[in-house]
Amino acid sequence: MYELLAQILKFLLIGLIYYFLYNFLKLMVLDLSEEKNTSGDTGYYLRSDDGREYPLRPVTTIGRAGDSDIVINDPYLSSKHAMIFKKGRRMVIQDLKSTNGTFLNGKRIKRAVALREKDVITMGGRNFTFLRREARGLESGSDL
Amino acid sequence: MDSKVEATYNRALSAMALVGFISFLLLSIYRKPLSPVPFYGAVTFLSIVFIGYFFTGWIFPSSDKFLFILAGFLVELGLIMLCRINIELFKRQVAFFALGVGFFILSSILTRYFVRLELNPVYLWGITTALLLLPLLFGVEKGGARNWLAFGGFTFQPSELAKITFVFYLAGVVKQNKINHFPRLAAEILAAVGLLVLSRDLGGAMLFYLTALAVIFAATSRLDVTAAGLFAAGIMGVLSYNLFDHVRVRIEAWLNPWQDVPGRGYQIAQSLFAIAEGGYFGTGLGLGRPDFIPAVATDFIFSAFTEEFGFLGAAAVILMYFLLVYRGIRIALRLKDSYPALIALGHTVMFGMQIFTIIGGVIKLIPVTGVTLPFMSYGGSSMVMSFTSLGILNGLWLQAREGETDGETA
Repeated sequence: MYELLAQILKFLLIGLIYYFLYNFLKLMVLDLSEEKNTSGDTGYYLRSDDGREYPLRPVTTIGRAGDSDIVINDPYLSSKHAMIFKKGRRMVIQDLKSTNGTFLNGKRIKRAVALREKDVITMGGRNFTFLRREARGLESGSDL
Repeated sequence: MDSKVEATYNRALSAMALVGFISFLLLSIYRKPLSPVPFYGAVTFLSIVFIGYFFTGWIFPSSDKFLFILAGFLVELGLIMLCRINIELFKRQVAFFALGVGFFILSSILTRYFVRLELNPVYLWGITTALLLLPLLFGVEKGGARNWLAFGGFTFQPSELAKITFVFYLAGVVKQNKINHFPRLAAEILAAVGLLVLSRDLGGAMLFYLTALAVIFAATSRLDVTAAGLFAAGIMGVLSYNLFDHVRVRIEAWLNPWQDVPGRGYQIAQSLFAIAEGGYFGTGLGLGRPDFIPAVATDFIFSAFTEEFGFLGAAAVILMYFLLVYRGIRIALRLKDSYPALIALGHTVMFGMQIFTIIGGVIKLIPVTGVTLPFMSYGGSSMVMSFTSLGILNGLWLQAREGETDGETA
C-alpha cells in the first residue's frame, strides 16, 4: 500500500520540484531581459525649451565638449557638465562637478538623484524636461 | 515590486508548500506505528518559512526574496531526507533552521547598515586565525577532522564562522584593486589555510584557498597571480598526497573505489550504488536504502536524495544551487563600490566551491572531502552560517537598491 502510494507520488513530487524550478528560471529570464533593456534606447528623452528632443541612452553625458552624447553650445555649461544614466529601472542624473551646477526642479543637486517624469533639469541658462516616449507601449511604468 | 514577479514568487511558494505537505504526510504513514511528528515538523517548517518571508518583506520591501525562497526550498528537500533517515536529527534540524532564519534577518540588517564601517583587515585576519586555531587547541575530533568545539552538550564548528570573517578580510585587503604587500598577503592566506590543514580539514583548506584566489583575481584581473596560485595549489596537492595518509586513502578510493569496496572504497562505492539505484525518477520516497551509506545525514545526503528522487530530482537540485550562485554574482555586479562587491563575490564563490566540492565528491567527479552541502546537510553550524552568508548577500543587495533610489525624497 505504502509502496504504491510512494511510487505514484514520486512523479507528482518531481513535477512540483520542476514547477518550482521553472518559476525561478522564469525569474532569471526576467532579470536578464531587464539587464538587456539597459542597452540601447531607454524610452526616455529630454525636451529643451526650444522644443528640441534628445533621446536618452543608458549612459548619456551632457556638456559643451564635442564627445558628449548631447552637445550644447552654451558658455555657462562645463565641457562635461552632467550625466544621466540608467540604474535598475530608474534614470538617475549626476552632476559632473560642473562650475555652474545642475538644478533639478530648482534645487542644485549634489549627489546622484533619481529622475521622475516631467522633472525640469536646469543647466547653464537652459531648461530641459525629462519625459517618457509615449508612443511605445511599455507595460511596466507604474513605479515611476 | 513588480506584480508579475510577485505572482511568480507566490506560485513558487505554493509549489514548495505542496511538496512539503505531500512528502511529510507520506513520511507520517511510512513508519509503523503511524507518527504525526513529520507532519508537525512540516507545519513548523513552513510556518518559519512564511514568517521569515513576510517579516523580511515587511522590514525591507525590496529584500531579495529569490535567495530566501530558494534556500528555503533546498532546506525543505534536505529535511525530507533527514526525516526519512533519522527522526531525531530531523527535529533538531528544524530548530537549526529557525535559528538560521533569525540569523538571516539579523545579518541582513547588520550588513545593510554597517557594511560601510570597514574594519581593518588585520583584525579580521586575527579573528579568522583565532577561530581556526581554537579547535586545534581545545577541539574535539569528529569524523577524522579536529575542527569542533564543545561547550557542554553543544558542539560548534568555528571554521564555518571563519569562512565569513575570511571573506571580509579578503575584500578589505584587495579592495584598492591592487596588491600592496604581496608576500604578506600570501603569508596571511597560507597561514589560515595551513591551520585548516593541521586540523585535517582538507576540504575546508581547499575552499579557503580557492576563494582567496577568486577574490584576488576579481579585484586585480591579474592572470599571472591566479596562474601562480593554481600552480602552487597543484604542488600542495602533490605534497599532501605524499605527506598525509588520509589524503592518499581518499585519492586512491577516488581513482578506483572497486579495488577495496568493504574498506577504503566503501563510502564512495555505496554512494555510487545508491545513485545508480535511483534511475531517472528515483525509487520513491522511503523506498531506497540510505542506511547503507556512511555519513548519510551530513556529507552524503545528496546521494540519498538522488536515490529516492532520481536523476531528475538531483539535476533540479544542482540547477537550484546554480541559480543561487547566479543571484549572488548578480548582486556583486549591481554593487558599485569594490568593497561590498568583493564581499558578495567572496560569499558566492565560497558557496559555489563548497557545493561543487561535495556534490562532485559524492558522484566521484573529484576525490571526496568532508564538507557539508549548504542548506541540505544535517548540521547546526553549517545551517546557521549558510543563512548568515545569505543574509549578508541580502544586506548588500538592499544597499545596492538603496544606491539606485538615492535622493528620491530630496
